[in-house]
Amino acid sequence: MKPNDPDIYWVEPPRLGLAEKLYLPLVVDGMRTTLRHLVSPKVTVSFPEERPRIDNPLIYRGVHRLNRDEQGRVKCVACFLCATACPAHCIDIVGAESPWPDREKYPESFTIDELRCIFCGMCEEACPVDAIELTSLFDLTGRSREEMIFDKEKLLSIYDMTKDAEPMRTAAQEAER
Amino acid sequence: MSPELVVALVKIGLLIFGLMTGAAYLVLLERWIAAWVQDRKGPNRVGIPLSRIRLFGLGQPLADGLKFIFKEEYTPRHVDRLLFTLAPLSILVAALAAFAVIPFGSVLPASATPEGMRGPIELVVAPGVDVGLLYVFALSSVAVYGVILGGWASNNKYSFLGALRSSAQLVAYELPLGAALVAVVLATGSLRLDQIIAQQAASGVWNVLVQPLGFVVFVTASFAESARLPFDLPECEQELVGGYHTEYSGVRLLMFLVAEFLHMVMAAVLIVVLYLGGWHFWGLTGSTNEVGWGTALVRVLVLGGKTLMVIVFLFMLARWSWPRFRFDQLMALAWKVMLPLGLTNLVAVAAVVEWGGIRAGKPSLAAVLVLWGIGATGWLAAGWAAPSAADNRPRLEPS
Amino acid sequence: MTSVQAWFAVAAALTALGWWWLLPGRRPRGRVGGVLLAAAGLLLLAALGLGATPLEPGRPLQVPAPLGGPAREMLFWLLAVTTIVAAVATVSMRSPVYCAIWFGLLLLGVAALFFFQGAQFLAVATVVVYAGAILVTFLFVLMLAHPRGHTHYDRLAWEGLLAACTGAVLVGAFTMTLARARRELPPPRTSTVADRAQPPSAPPRAAGPEAEDHVARLGGQLFGTHLIAVEGVGTLLLVALVGAVAVAAHTRRGGPGGAHVGGNGEPRVRQAVQRPALPGGPHHG
Repeated sequence: MKPNDPDIYWVEPPRLGLAEKLYLPLVVDGMRTTLRHLVSPKVTVSFPEERPRIDNPLIYRGVHRLNRDEQGRVKCVACFLCATACPAHCIDIVGAESPWPDREKYPESFTIDELRCIFCGMCEEACPVDAIELTSLFDLTGRSREEMIFDKEKLLSIYDMTKDAEPMRTAAQEAER
Repeated sequence: MSPELVVALVKIGLLIFGLMTGAAYLVLLERWIAAWVQDRKGPNRVGIPLSRIRLFGLGQPLADGLKFIFKEEYTPRHVDRLLFTLAPLSILVAALAAFAVIPFGSVLPASATPEGMRGPIELVVAPGVDVGLLYVFALSSVAVYGVILGGWASNNKYSFLGALRSSAQLVAYELPLGAALVAVVLATGSLRLDQIIAQQAASGVWNVLVQPLGFVVFVTASFAESARLPFDLPECEQELVGGYHTEYSGVRLLMFLVAEFLHMVMAAVLIVVLYLGGWHFWGLTGSTNEVGWGTALVRVLVLGGKTLMVIVFLFMLARWSWPRFRFDQLMALAWKVMLPLGLTNLVAVAAVVEWGGIRAGKPSLAAVLVLWGIGATGWLAAGWAAPSAADNRPRLEPS
Repeated sequence: MTSVQAWFAVAAALTALGWWWLLPGRRPRGRVGGVLLAAAGLLLLAALGLGATPLEPGRPLQVPAPLGGPAREMLFWLLAVTTIVAAVATVSMRSPVYCAIWFGLLLLGVAALFFFQGAQFLAVATVVVYAGAILVTFLFVLMLAHPRGHTHYDRLAWEGLLAACTGAVLVGAFTMTLARARRELPPPRTSTVADRAQPPSAPPRAAGPEAEDHVARLGGQLFGTHLIAVEGVGTLLLVALVGAVAVAAHTRRGGPGGAHVGGNGEPRVRQAVQRPALPGGPHHG
C-alpha cells in the first residue's frame, strides 16, 4: 500500500504541549501508576494452598460434564451437533436407538479426549438440549494419556460431583427469571 | 607471596563472588518487582533445597542458575562456532573487569594493614589507577564487541538487527555520557573515583546538587548504555524475539544475562559514585581516611544501600513506568537533546570553575544557583525545541 | 652509510622480499620461500636490534635489561607475543571480520603494553578510540558489506611490492632507532601499576610523582606545549566531519540515492485525506 493510497485514513496524533515535551508530567504519571500497582492487592494466588475464587462458575470453561435429566438419565440425544461444532475434533459419540420413549437416540458411548480439547465452549453452545456443559473445575490432571480420555460414566460422574455447586444452565436461567 | 598480592587476590575474590551473588539476587529482585507492579505475587516458592522451608523464594537464584547450567547447550548449525562462544565470554569478562577500579567502600582502618604494606587497605581492586573513570569507559566500549559478535555469529536476522541497533545506540549515547563525565571530572580535578568521592565527602555537597543537568544527562545515557527499558531496543522481545542473544541457550545465555545485569550494576554504582556522594552520608560516615572498623563498615553499607536504591527506584521501577522509545526517537534524544544538554552543562561547569565558583570541590552558593538556573533553562529550551508531533509515518510533504 | 646501517638495509630488503612473496598475487606462488626469506630478514633485524653487528665479532649480544622480577618478565613477553601474533593474524586471515577481531585483540595487547610501561592514559585512550569507536564502526561496515569475505578482489594484493617495502622500511627504521637508543641512553625508570603490586621494587607512592599526576601532566603538555598541534588535529577532524555531512547531503538532494517517497513523477502533495471520523474510530483532539 502506497502512502498516497486514497484508502488510507490518516489519524493525526495529538500535538504535544510544552508540559508533555518537558517529559516531567509524563515521568511523574508513569511513576505514579507503577507505585500504585506496586502496593495494590495482588490478583494471583498461591495455588495449591489457596484456591482461586471463580466469580461466575456458569460461564467458566473448565472440564466437561454430561447432564442428567430429572429421572437420572443422560440428557444427550446423540445429535452429533457438539462433535460437529468441535474445532479440535475431540468428541466421539456412538449413537444407538433410545430405550426410552421420549426420544429417538441416545449415546451408547460418549468420549471426550481432554488432551485435545481446547476448552472453547463450542460444544456447550451447539447442544440443543443442554446436555453438555463446561464446569468450573480447572485443575485437570492425569498420569497417562488413556486416563485423560473421559467416557460417558466419567462425564456423568462429574455432573454428580458438581451439580450442587453449579446448577444446570437452563435451571439457573429459570431461577434467575 | 607478598602481602599486597594476598590482599589484591582477596579483594578480587570478594568482588567476583559478591558481583555474581549480587547479580543473581538482583535477578530475583527484578522478578519480584516486575510481579508486584503487574499485580502478581512473584517467585516465592524456592527456599532451602531438599527441605520444605520457603523463605519467601530466596532460593530462587540457585534454582535459576542450576536450570541454566543443566539446560541443553544448543549451537545452531548455521552459526560461526568460534565467535558464537567467544561473544558471551568477552562481554562477561569486560563487564567484570570494569569493576576493578570501582570502590566498594573507602578504606579499612590502619590496624588491618598487614606487615610490609604501605598505607591503609583501599577497598578497590586496583587502587591508584590514575585514569579510573576512563578505564571504566574503555571497558564499557569493549563490551560492545560481545553484542556485535554475538549478533553476527548467530547468523540470524533478528540477532543481527539487535546487534546493529545496539552498536548505534551505544556509540550515540557514549557522547552525552562522556560530556556529563567530563563536567564531573572538571569540577573534581581528578579522574580517580576515590578522589571524586573524597571531594564530595569533604565538601558535603554531592555533585547531583551542583550539576542537576549533568545528572539527568548521565542517568539517561547510562540507561541507554545498559540497554534497559525504555531504551532496550537491542533486545526488545516484541520486535526482535530476543535481539542479539536470540540463538543462545544454556550457560552462554547465562553469561549474556549476567553481563547485562552487571552493566546495570555498573551504571548504578557510577551514578552513586559520581553524583550521589559514594560512601558519604551526612553525619554518618565522616569524611576523612582516619576510620575505625565501625565507620569503614558503615561506608560500605552506605555505598551498597545507595546503589541498591538507585537500581530499584531508577532502573527497575522505570522499566514498568514508561513505554519503549522508537528507534528514531532514541537517536533524536541522543543527538538533539542529550548531547546539547550535556555540552551546555560542561560549558557551564567549566565557566563556573574558571571564575572560582568551585574551589577544591567546594562550590559556592552562587555557583550552585547559577548551575541550577542553567539546568532549568536548558531543559526548558530542549522542551521548547522538541517537535510537537511524534509521527514518523511515510507521507508526502506539501511541495 | 656505516656498515651497521648497511646491514640494516640488507635485513629490511630481505624482509620486504619475503613479505612480497607471501602476499597473495594474481599467480599462486609457493609459501615456503616467502616464509624463509621473511624469517631470515626478521631474525637478522632482531639480532641487529639487540646490538650484534656482524662486522664486530667480539661484541656480545646485548640481552634486554631485566624488567624487575620474573613475573613481570613473563607478563611482558606474554603480552608482546600475543600482540605480535594478533598482528600477523590481522593481515593474514581470510575473513575480513576475523581480521577486524584480531585487530581488536592487537589493540588490546598494545594497550596492555602501554599500561605495562606506565602510560595509563595512552592505554585507555587507545582502547576507547580505536577499539571502542573506530573498530566497531569498521566491523559493522564489514559485516554489512560482505559477510563472509569470499569476494575475489579481497584475495589479491594491490601494490604488493610497495606495501611490503613500506612495511619493511618502517620496521627496519624503528629497530635501528631502538638499537641506537639502547646503546646511548640509560634505561628509563618508569613507575607502573605493576610496580605497586610488587613492593620490593616499588617506589613509595608519594615519591612517584610521574605516576601520581600522570594525566594532569599529560594534559598540561597537550594543551600547553602542543596546543597548536592539538587544535590543528581537531580542526582537521572537524573538516572531515563537515565534508562527510556535505557528501551525504549532496547525495540526498539530487543523486541516485535520493529516493523520495512518491518522487517518481507523481505530484508531491500531502495525501492526508480528511474523512469524516468513522463511528467508533479513534478521536484525537
